[in-house]
Amino acid sequence: MLDIRDLATAYGNIEALKGVSLTAEAGKVTCLLGPNGAGKSTLMLSLSGILKPHRGSIRFQGEELLGKSASYIVSRGLALVPENRLVFPGLTVRENLLAGAYKRRDSAAITADIERFFERFPRLRERDHQLAGTLSGGEQQMLAVARALMSRPKMLLMDEPSVGLAPMIVAEIFQIIEQLHLEGTSILLVEQNVHMAMRVAQKFYLMERGSISFSGKATDLRDDHLIQRAYLGQRHAA
Amino acid sequence: MFEWIQTSIDGIVDGAIYALIGLGLSLSYSSLRRLNLAYGAIAMLAAYCGAWVAFQGEISMVLIALIVIGVAGLIGLYVEQLCFAKPLQVSGRIDNASVTADAGIDQRDLVALASSFAIWMQLEQLAINMLPRHMNAFPAFDADATVLLPLMGEQLILRLDRLTVAVLSIMLITVIHRLIKGSRVGLAWRAIAEHRMASHLMGISVDRFQTVIFILLSSLSGFTAFLILAIEGQVTAMFGMWMLLKGLTAAMLGGLGSVLGVMTGGLMLGLTEAWAQVFFGAIGREFAVYALLFLTLTLRSGLAARRKEQHFDRRVVPR
Repeated sequence: MLDIRDLATAYGNIEALKGVSLTAEAGKVTCLLGPNGAGKSTLMLSLSGILKPHRGSIRFQGEELLGKSASYIVSRGLALVPENRLVFPGLTVRENLLAGAYKRRDSAAITADIERFFERFPRLRERDHQLAGTLSGGEQQMLAVARALMSRPKMLLMDEPSVGLAPMIVAEIFQIIEQLHLEGTSILLVEQNVHMAMRVAQKFYLMERGSISFSGKATDLRDDHLIQRAYLGQRHAA
Repeated sequence: MFEWIQTSIDGIVDGAIYALIGLGLSLSYSSLRRLNLAYGAIAMLAAYCGAWVAFQGEISMVLIALIVIGVAGLIGLYVEQLCFAKPLQVSGRIDNASVTADAGIDQRDLVALASSFAIWMQLEQLAINMLPRHMNAFPAFDADATVLLPLMGEQLILRLDRLTVAVLSIMLITVIHRLIKGSRVGLAWRAIAEHRMASHLMGISVDRFQTVIFILLSSLSGFTAFLILAIEGQVTAMFGMWMLLKGLTAAMLGGLGSVLGVMTGGLMLGLTEAWAQVFFGAIGREFAVYALLFLTLTLRSGLAARRKEQHFDRRVVPR
């Protein structure tokens, strides 16, 4: 569904992505692991059109998205749940969800979708008219996920959804990811929490210093050596 | 006692107009996060164009108003593209670093500020070259029409044109406030003011949106200028400066970025001016206004503004 070939993105003279290639299949959860600074967030921002790669190809459902605007990419069905949630703090929970549905014009269906998300996340319903900035980390994460889903994307990109959250909340979030997967949503997930990721993802890539160093299934990843690399990076692996 | 009421009403009437001036400036600040120093100059140059057209013969006020509004929008487009829009990318060079460096004020903000100042000077010079005299006639409302209200044995005097413009201002501010809170476009605008990058992720074309809003706010400032100048009956090239000062003061008193704030700030400005004039004369009036501004900024950054603090770090890419 999503086919990335030799993607390269730079900040000025610093090449953050040095030719990344990966594939995320429809209906599956694909997980990108790697230490801090590997370029995972840069990849996600490049896929969403926020950053502009200078080389490579991003084919989504057969269409080339490289160089397209963020707005266009959202309209083609690729939505990002960004790192640190980035909810709009001064807008209410409902307004955040409406913002996610910005590109849609079917207001009746939008309202129905909001209802469905409130069913799924009762804690958000309680906070319908509360400012998003006052929500807890876990609630903001739920909101960010729901907000991205409001655009009815064909594939969801998630950048470190568990970061900064308490272990109990992390479990909740991954339950949600598992649920989405079972409902057929395609997900490309960036994560640092390897153990949680192993429970939900079918395919793994390991990214280090701007390029992919490993790909495989959950069973391949059980090798401790690889997990250490995923957490700590090449230099510290035993 | 009667004089207090008369003075206060004069102050409120002026205050409503100041609030409308401040509104345009305040709104453009919250979406751009940069101050448009050319704000008054845009309206002033558009007004000069209106005055020039009026010189050509018997032109109706309505047509002059439309010309001023339209020209202000065009000049606004010019200013926006030069000073605030994303710079055209030199082909082959991609600027990714500026996208994620989102926190605080950086040199681009200062460059935009300085550019808008330079363009202000340019627009002012254009106006001076356009019309020969320092003070030029502007099509005016009937200055003699007054409303007389009997009160406490005396009569309150209100100039009808001032009163009408004040009421119109309040109506406009209310309409805009409703639009911002209630419409899809208003939601997108507030989202952009909260977090630019996240707005991109919603599918909002942030750059195009900002350009359109800037043009609309410039047109609004043109309309505001038309109303004020139609009361005065004349326009000078310094009108741009005057408008910027009043607008900035009103906006800062109430808190930049808040519609309710600019309404409060405008009224405070109007009332302070009116009372200070009675007690201290013209010079004392200016002093009182700036003293009030100083106090407000020192004790609290704006009275009505909610502190739009970010609840999280804006830097997205981990370093």
